[in-house]
Amino acid sequence: MYQYDAIDAEMLADRVAEFREQAARRLAGDITEDQFKPIRLMNGLYLQLHAYMLRIAIPYGSLNPTQMRKLAEIGRVYDKGYGHLTTRTNLQFHWIKLRDAADILEHLASVDMHAIQTSGNCIRNVTADPYAGATADELDDPRVWSEAIRQWSTFHPEFSFLPRKFKIAVNASLADRVATRTHDIGLYLRRDENGALAFEVYVGGGLGRTPYIGPLIKRRLPVARLFSYLQAVLRVYNRHGKRDNPNKARIKILVATLGAEEFARQVEDEWEKIGPAGDLPDTELARIRGAFTPVAFASLPPRSEAFEAAKARDPSFARFARNNLRPHKRPGYSIVEVALKTIGETPGDITSEQMEAVADIAETWGANDIRVTHEQNLVLPHVKLDDLPAVHKALAKAGLASANSNLISDIIACPGLDYCALANARAINIAQDIAQTFADPDRAERIGELKIKISGCINACGHHHVAHVGILGVDKKGEEFYQLTLGGSAAEDAEVGKILGPALPGPKVAPAIDQLVEVYLRERNDGERFLDTYRRVGLAPFKEAVYADAH
Amino acid sequence: MKALTANRLDDGEVIFVAADGRWVERFVEAKLFEDDDAAMAAEAHAKTQGTIAVDPYLIDVAPGEGGVAPVSYRERLRALGPTNRHDHGKQAEGGDAVEALLHATGAARSKGRVDLIRRK
Repeated sequence: MYQYDAIDAEMLADRVAEFREQAARRLAGDITEDQFKPIRLMNGLYLQLHAYMLRIAIPYGSLNPTQMRKLAEIGRVYDKGYGHLTTRTNLQFHWIKLRDAADILEHLASVDMHAIQTSGNCIRNVTADPYAGATADELDDPRVWSEAIRQWSTFHPEFSFLPRKFKIAVNASLADRVATRTHDIGLYLRRDENGALAFEVYVGGGLGRTPYIGPLIKRRLPVARLFSYLQAVLRVYNRHGKRDNPNKARIKILVATLGAEEFARQVEDEWEKIGPAGDLPDTELARIRGAFTPVAFASLPPRSEAFEAAKARDPSFARFARNNLRPHKRPGYSIVEVALKTIGETPGDITSEQMEAVADIAETWGANDIRVTHEQNLVLPHVKLDDLPAVHKALAKAGLASANSNLISDIIACPGLDYCALANARAINIAQDIAQTFADPDRAERIGELKIKISGCINACGHHHVAHVGILGVDKKGEEFYQLTLGGSAAEDAEVGKILGPALPGPKVAPAIDQLVEVYLRERNDGERFLDTYRRVGLAPFKEAVYADAH
Repeated sequence: MKALTANRLDDGEVIFVAADGRWVERFVEAKLFEDDDAAMAAEAHAKTQGTIAVDPYLIDVAPGEGGVAPVSYRERLRALGPTNRHDHGKQAEGGDAVEALLHATGAARSKGRVDLIRRK
């Protein structure tokens, strides 16, 4: 993991001291709310419905146990003993006091963390594959590129006042676990025809009011030319982005207006002018790469007798093994999904005690490595098969052994109207209703992979556009209604879903999902996921089932 | 009928103006303005209290079975706390006033949200 050097540490200390003074001046009345608001937002501090909310950056979703314990401590001392993980792989505390905010930032700085780039019209926290360094299908470690982008973008003077916020994702695997093409810039690492590493560059993806899957604008960008190319993309955006209308200011609108081809041409022109002078020196990349030393894996047989015996002995462990384990690149190891989706709980919430349990588990059995996923779960990327029974037991003790990863109750939900000042409707209660409806674990496994994502407003923090079944909360004369979309995907087959029909009142949503599932189970061919069946049979049978009563 | 609400600068807590002009945490203690001009005057005054209240605004309130409650669901939620954690927020205190708010009905757009979107 990247460790901050003296320059990083000094920069953060200065920033905390600056914010401490600014917050004191605001509390004393020396500056107004209008003057203070952009300052607090640049430090991740929002004012929400019930309190201040602090959004803490977890760059490329990577945490070590020391950082996790610090988050637990902050949750316990300054919040109500828990935090909430977001689709941007950030962690939010929802009950923060302004008077404590500078102290919290100082705590974060002590473990190389901060809340910079979690708000405002800058380049936001970079997201990457949570299985980085662990999955067999990756071409390079995306964290190296993500960290380089983080260092390049933090306080970059040219890009700290963009027309709107700007999100970059890096994926180095064949599978896409990052929702890459929903980002302003999505980078897929590939090999070119000569075997050299190159980026496929997608620009202008995004969700929100106007969802787009990012089009390809550069097929083969040599990796050594990444930073000059990013600079060129951002310069074209900075020059032409619509600053006069926040709803039209994202780069996706510019790319869609110009057309991907014309946008790419303008970027090429700009890139030509910048030249290799805009690129990162090899020595700098090597320095950053050096921080991601490979884990010292043991040489293990691919089969673990302890693992096999535990599966045979304990059905709950066997279920966990079926649903929450992913293949690791090394024999004798596994990637473990820790689903923060216990039936009836709030998706993405984790208590301080649970954070500490995860930190202990990662330290004891998980190579000190913890990841956050955009699906509001955690990942232990390197666990020996031999250790899985002990890890499962420790997770279960902490209430974290929910064996529903990737199943219908593994739901994304934004905080919604329960916390968010912008929300139209609640999202958490809808997720809880649906999870309860599918609480039978055998039924959930029979249904298989089905990604439900819920947003409480059109800003789409819950990624509803790219869900197999998306749910959008809308406000109908002050009442909560929910619009369903079908057939979206955030994966390598990315697609924006289609609206099923008129919005439903809250209590009708879970029964409607049940009806959709029944249609799927009736129509599916062998091996088809919900999404596959939907793509084969189309919207009509699903629509008919949900709206039958209306005809 | 209206009430005047804001978030407290120091800690973000939802607050209401009481009959004696103080800012209080409980909706049940909020001053109820029958007269729109008086409500708007109170709002204008609140906007000068920048070291206490952030973004004050008026909300519509109406009498119901359990007493007066905000018409908008969003504003009832602000007066109570999140529905996924009944042990958090003002509702944790319990009592008749909280029960009355929990069972209040009515629906309207929240001016607080509309203002927020407009300012964005």
